[in-house]
Amino acid sequence: MIWLAVGLVIGVAGTASVSYVLARRTRTRHVTEDHDRDEQLAALDDTAERLERALDAIPQGVAICDGSGSLLFHNSTGMHYSSARHGDALVEAAIDDLLMRAVVGEACVETVELFGPPRRTLVITAVPLHPDRIGVGAVAIIDDVTERRHLEAVRRDFVANISHELKTPVGALALLAETLLDESDPDVAHRLAGRILTEGHRVGRTIEDLLELSSIEGEETHVRESIPVHEVLAAAVARIGPAADQHGIEIEVKDIAHGVVILGDRRQLVSALFNLLENAVKYSPEGSAITVRADADRDMVDLVVEDHGIGIPSRDLERVFERFYRVDQARSRETGGTGLGLAIVRHVVNNHAGEVLVTSREGEGSVFTLRFPIGNAAFGTTQQGVS
Amino acid sequence: MDDAPIPEPQVEVRKGFRQQLDDLRREVVREAAMVTEAVTRCTEVLLDNDLDGAQQLIEEDDELDFLSLEIEEHAVALLTLEAPVASDLRAVVAALKMNGEIERSGDLAVNVAKACRRIYGVQYSPRCRGLIERMSEEATRLYRFAIDAYVEGNASLAGALDDMDDRLDELHKDFVQAIFEAHNNDEIDLQAAVQLALVGRYYERIGDHAVNIGAMVQFMVTGWMPEHTGAARVRARREHEAERLAGLEALAIDGAAGNGAGDDGGRDAG
Repeated sequence: MIWLAVGLVIGVAGTASVSYVLARRTRTRHVTEDHDRDEQLAALDDTAERLERALDAIPQGVAICDGSGSLLFHNSTGMHYSSARHGDALVEAAIDDLLMRAVVGEACVETVELFGPPRRTLVITAVPLHPDRIGVGAVAIIDDVTERRHLEAVRRDFVANISHELKTPVGALALLAETLLDESDPDVAHRLAGRILTEGHRVGRTIEDLLELSSIEGEETHVRESIPVHEVLAAAVARIGPAADQHGIEIEVKDIAHGVVILGDRRQLVSALFNLLENAVKYSPEGSAITVRADADRDMVDLVVEDHGIGIPSRDLERVFERFYRVDQARSRETGGTGLGLAIVRHVVNNHAGEVLVTSREGEGSVFTLRFPIGNAAFGTTQQGVS
Repeated sequence: MDDAPIPEPQVEVRKGFRQQLDDLRREVVREAAMVTEAVTRCTEVLLDNDLDGAQQLIEEDDELDFLSLEIEEHAVALLTLEAPVASDLRAVVAALKMNGEIERSGDLAVNVAKACRRIYGVQYSPRCRGLIERMSEEATRLYRFAIDAYVEGNASLAGALDDMDDRLDELHKDFVQAIFEAHNNDEIDLQAAVQLALVGRYYERIGDHAVNIGAMVQFMVTGWMPEHTGAARVRARREHEAERLAGLEALAIDGAAGNGAGDDGGRDAG
């Protein structure tokens, strides 16, 4: 659809722009022309400007060159790739190259992968402006497909991961039960039954988390109450207490201003913070400390969980909130997580008009921040607010 | 772009030169962009144990070599055929010298990719991995600043690169320390430790090349290079030494002991 539209606009605008540029040039040369000529040029300028604006409105970059390959026009997105530097300079080089080929009648497409950071993928398509006549010029369309590629990857991996997370324990259960059927040694049978129990719990946890996730997704119109932030923190910290003790990890709660309130669902908020704490405990070495704090300003409150654990590689950083996404598949069984914790966190935050931020470095630790708008009742005013 | 006035016929030839100079600058920017990309890529390749990626990166270095030769040819052609002077001459000379720095940096990125093959399968600590990532980001950042300075003709930014490089040097020291620790804890063997130490060195060198590019930009914009300060000191020292020797010679000829010897001794100590 987009392509059709782009093609149409460019088909018309390409030639018009060439003549537009030529017209402007001509005008500079002959300053004193007669009145008719001026009017014609003004009309041409009008049309050309409309087409230029139309091209500027297209999210894709457009670059048009003449028969010799010299660039005549860039739309506003395309301007990024003119006299560019860094990664864009490589896109510019690819555009030049493709246009030179298109000028002599060869339509061509190239995908440029930029490692950035940020990582980007661009598809550049160049076609001759006239299908039959060579030497009219060519147009290149630069399409940033980074987001599209990312979504494709999310969808693809989700299907692969969910089948892995559900099929693996179920397959193991069947296999263990089958072995148990033929087993006469009570010791071995006992061990097998133990394994069946573990796998059963595992698949149970996954299903529980999936249900929680879908219930959070579905809960749009639930009743919102004012919840003091320090209560959310206290509840989550109390819940993680035993696990932290078991790992010998100290949880340090910084002083929190009482009276800061979030409007929302208490259970969800505690669950989100608990998930962050659970991860922090899981991925921290024994004897390290985790800091929890709440920083509030006028409008927003940040619930921050900071650990000194193994950290997250930067390439995985933006994907850790996806369902079942795992940084290290091999480790997932060790830590016993379901791969849904951070997906739940993200949904809770979305439900509360907030955002979740993460910074991390391998070997240094991670900082997760839940940012929520402060409820009206903040700092001692009433819940309805004061006028 | 469209509003450029039609040039007068007599400056046409000179415009050709401007165009060529502009093209040369664009080529250098492109070469540097290739290197910046390669640095990020080689880090990914290394951290992901991506052998295919390493191979690809090593092969793609040919492209960089090709562009580097082209830049050299164009610069030499400009020098010989157009005989540029003053700032134009400095721009061409700077491009020529930067070209060498950039090309070498590309080789260093390839070295990282090759190291990936040598330490394939070695599991090293998250701390080492994090530091590699940091060094790579820092080297890329320096390179980007260097090119920003070049494109904008910003001599002060170019001059600041030397100080910015201190951070990369610090990271390099931390990394070496982390390697020692990992080796002492039996996380990695000696071979891997040496390879990792070399990798750290490659990043550190890439940063140094960025600083050198900064020096070239300073030269291009102002005609002055950091080396000039040192050179001026050497010159002053030599002149002073020549004067002193001449003085001593004169004294010897007169056959008398003078008060000047005490002065010289004081200066030497200083």
